[in-house]
Amino acid sequence: MKFTKILIHGFWKDLPPFRLVLGLCPALAVTNSAENGMGMGLAATFVLVFSNMLISALRKVIPDKVRIASYIVVIATLVVLVEMIMKSYFFALSQQLGIFIPLIVVNCIILGRAEAFASRNPIYLSFADGLSVGLGYTLSLTLVGTIREILGAGSWFGLNIMGHNFEPFTFMVKAPGAFICLGILLGIMNFWSRRRGEIFIQT
Amino acid sequence: MREIIKLVVVLTLICGISVGTLEIARANLAGRIEKQNDRYIRGPALSRLFAKPADELLENKINLNLDGQKYPVFFMRENGKITGLAVEATGKGGYGGDIQIMIGIDLLTGKIKGMEIIQHSETPGVGAQVEKENFRSQWINLPLTKNIALKQDNGKIQGITGATYSSRAVVDGTNRILKLVTQHRDEIINEIQAKAN
Repeated sequence: MKFTKILIHGFWKDLPPFRLVLGLCPALAVTNSAENGMGMGLAATFVLVFSNMLISALRKVIPDKVRIASYIVVIATLVVLVEMIMKSYFFALSQQLGIFIPLIVVNCIILGRAEAFASRNPIYLSFADGLSVGLGYTLSLTLVGTIREILGAGSWFGLNIMGHNFEPFTFMVKAPGAFICLGILLGIMNFWSRRRGEIFIQT
Repeated sequence: MREIIKLVVVLTLICGISVGTLEIARANLAGRIEKQNDRYIRGPALSRLFAKPADELLENKINLNLDGQKYPVFFMRENGKITGLAVEATGKGGYGGDIQIMIGIDLLTGKIKGMEIIQHSETPGVGAQVEKENFRSQWINLPLTKNIALKQDNGKIQGITGATYSSRAVVDGTNRILKLVTQHRDEIINEIQAKAN
């Protein structure tokens, strides 16, 4: 039962970057299209799942004094692996995401889950935690990317869906649009949560 | 004392295994990455230089080995004669490392057809601006016989403001290629003829 609970907590209760307010930088920077958002989310999920499992496996071996350094080595290795895999099999996407793939190393979600969960829980639970938080992040990024792409470019995953008479709100695919979109989504989610009577940590 | 030994050993092991894994991955994937590079970067660059579809041009390639360095050279043939070359070389001294450039050469007129950036690690928005059309277009129709330099080094090339190292590295790469082509022109043509037949 605990396994199931952990498997779903990343999809609402601890949804990044809205509930678990981490990983905002890529959420703003690479969501100018749905495909980029999903690609970044999946890359981060891959790193998160494996880093959680590895750090959980090593949690009794790594001395407390060097734990952050060790976590970062593990995470950085995984990110370089992801970068190589992307350049080999998804070159066009890796060019689009550009410098943000290496920046997954400093994505707070990964170090955050390693420190808060993987370092004190068994491997199978850490796997579930990584998978659920990672997939939740992917969903969020794809959602923001979808909204920004449809409004800002009239397409979805590259397919033109708004027709040829649609005049796109170009600012939506630039920086201001990212902030506005994220803010409005966060506001809607908070309103919905309050109506359902959910308790917030920050009151 | 024991605690310190444990710290050192654990960190060393983790780093060692990580580096080993990455090396194995790199060895296995390098070939594929090179092919993807060809398809998405070199191909379009060659197309832009010679105004022909990339697939034809990518096959016409030889690897020059001079002074221990490897220089990929693409060639263009018309009616059995070699009319153009695209030489790749590394420009040293970039801000973030070496810059890989490609110069298109028109052998009939003896002038440069254009310059393309193949690979760089320069800062986005600053040094990365060497990729821009208005910087690269300064190379069009330059003669093969004269070395080039930035305006601030008594030359004619307008560098990118605030990106002197990057601009100089591209100039350095160009001069290497010019030297290569003028000094070893016959060797290059012979090797190409050998491969083509």
